[in-house]
Amino acid sequence: MVETSLKLVISLTQIAAVMGVVLLTVMLLTLLERKVLGWMQDRMGPMEVGPYGILQPIADGIKLFFKEDIIPAGANKFLFSLAPILALVPALIGFAVVPFGPNQTVELFGVQFKPFVISDINIGILYILAFASIGAYGIILGGWASNSKYSLLGGLRSAAQVISYELNVGLAIVGVLLLAGSLSLVKIAEAQAGGFWHWFVFAPPFPQIFAFVVYVISAVAETNRVPFDLPEAESELVAGFFTEYSGMRFAFYFLAEYANMILVSCVAAALFLGGWNAPYPGTILARIGLEHISWMENVGWFTVKVYFFLFLFFWLRATLPRLRYDQLMRFGWKVMLPIALGNILITSVAAYLFPRS
Amino acid sequence: MKFKNWLKTITFYEILVGMKATLTHLLRYRPITLQYPHEKRTLPDSYRGMLALLRYDDGTEKCVGCDLCEAACPSRVIRVVSAEVPGEPTKRYAKEYYMDMTRCLFCGLCVDACPVDALGMTREFEWAVYDKRQLLLNKEQLLAIGDRSFLVREKRLELQHPNVAFFNVAFKHVPQKPT
Repeated sequence: MVETSLKLVISLTQIAAVMGVVLLTVMLLTLLERKVLGWMQDRMGPMEVGPYGILQPIADGIKLFFKEDIIPAGANKFLFSLAPILALVPALIGFAVVPFGPNQTVELFGVQFKPFVISDINIGILYILAFASIGAYGIILGGWASNSKYSLLGGLRSAAQVISYELNVGLAIVGVLLLAGSLSLVKIAEAQAGGFWHWFVFAPPFPQIFAFVVYVISAVAETNRVPFDLPEAESELVAGFFTEYSGMRFAFYFLAEYANMILVSCVAAALFLGGWNAPYPGTILARIGLEHISWMENVGWFTVKVYFFLFLFFWLRATLPRLRYDQLMRFGWKVMLPIALGNILITSVAAYLFPRS
Repeated sequence: MKFKNWLKTITFYEILVGMKATLTHLLRYRPITLQYPHEKRTLPDSYRGMLALLRYDDGTEKCVGCDLCEAACPSRVIRVVSAEVPGEPTKRYAKEYYMDMTRCLFCGLCVDACPVDALGMTREFEWAVYDKRQLLLNKEQLLAIGDRSFLVREKRLELQHPNVAFFNVAFKHVPQKPT
């Protein structure tokens, strides 16, 4: 009984810590995105609130809290309120299986737990994919419940985008799963230990570089980011599925988008770039005799990889214009899908002929 | 050639070129932003800002109430009510002068039309107000704008404009500059 409640307390602490870090990262990202976009376009970004504008997210948060919360006449009130939550919750739930650090087991008061992953379940990546597609319901329902044509069109576009790109994400991952032999994110990341030539992007027998490119493009489309931001295309659809949303409901959609960005970056880092592993064998801290804090180096590398992907998102946004709708669908079905399928074929043959030790 | 194009397509060559361009801007960061309320750029001499009524050096109003500005204005901003100068039957002045700056498009036609150069365009542009009625300016306000914008005034009765010669007659009883 004591052990069970202690386990519960430890789990809750882990969940609170991860949620806190994710939400703080979202705050940081809102500022960082505006800053990076500004720097790339020879502007400065927000500068007024605090030194160099670093308090801008707090000001934005206060503003969103005090904005009037409007439910349009004729909207389905229940679904209208439910939809933002339905978008945000799946994005946050996915973090339960992401390994942020090495696969250590720590014993505290006689209870064993893994400090860097909330729950190491065997079907981790499947769980993330399942919940990622539930996030689309939030967008579609939000667009439908608003009782506005623009919102509905945004929601429908999101649905079409999900069926084109969710598939490619799933198929791009299969190659990695074949090589790693597990669906657990912890085991997949562990299989890439020992230098960057073991990461699945470069790994023998068959480098997953094509799968990686397909995954990154699909991930951008999954999170509705530029150049695939068709559900919220402001030049065509006012603001897309969240046209009628205001105040905190809008903020929930905003949080969901950024949480999704972090989640797909975490998955990309774990699956293709070796997760918490450093690009050299072992860790420097362990080699100089500080093994008990070598996890810090691992967590640092994971953070660097995640932020590399987040920067890639900003970078793409600063560079590319929005794709036309038929181009997007054609690219998803006629280019990415065959590449992903071909990658699975070659990977399975290569993995059969040259099995990893 | 066809193979080269194909290679460019599958390696996302154009996209990579674009991304290189944005990254170059990030690394060689030279912002062209002006932090507006804190630093202001110097405006060109010909800047068309807020309109103002002008005076001569001794405080005499230049405006003779001829209504030409009202006639020249394309958006009917200006309204002039002219009257005789008391005791000088041949002279007139603008008794009332209104400008509805909500409609003004700063074309400067009134300034061109004025035969005595009584109208000027200042370099004031910070005229955001909470109430549109604050932009309905009367004669005193327009003179005040002119007073603070043109510190160095023209000497009285100098030939600034070919048409001034017609009005260039000395007179005495004109409204004084309010103190």
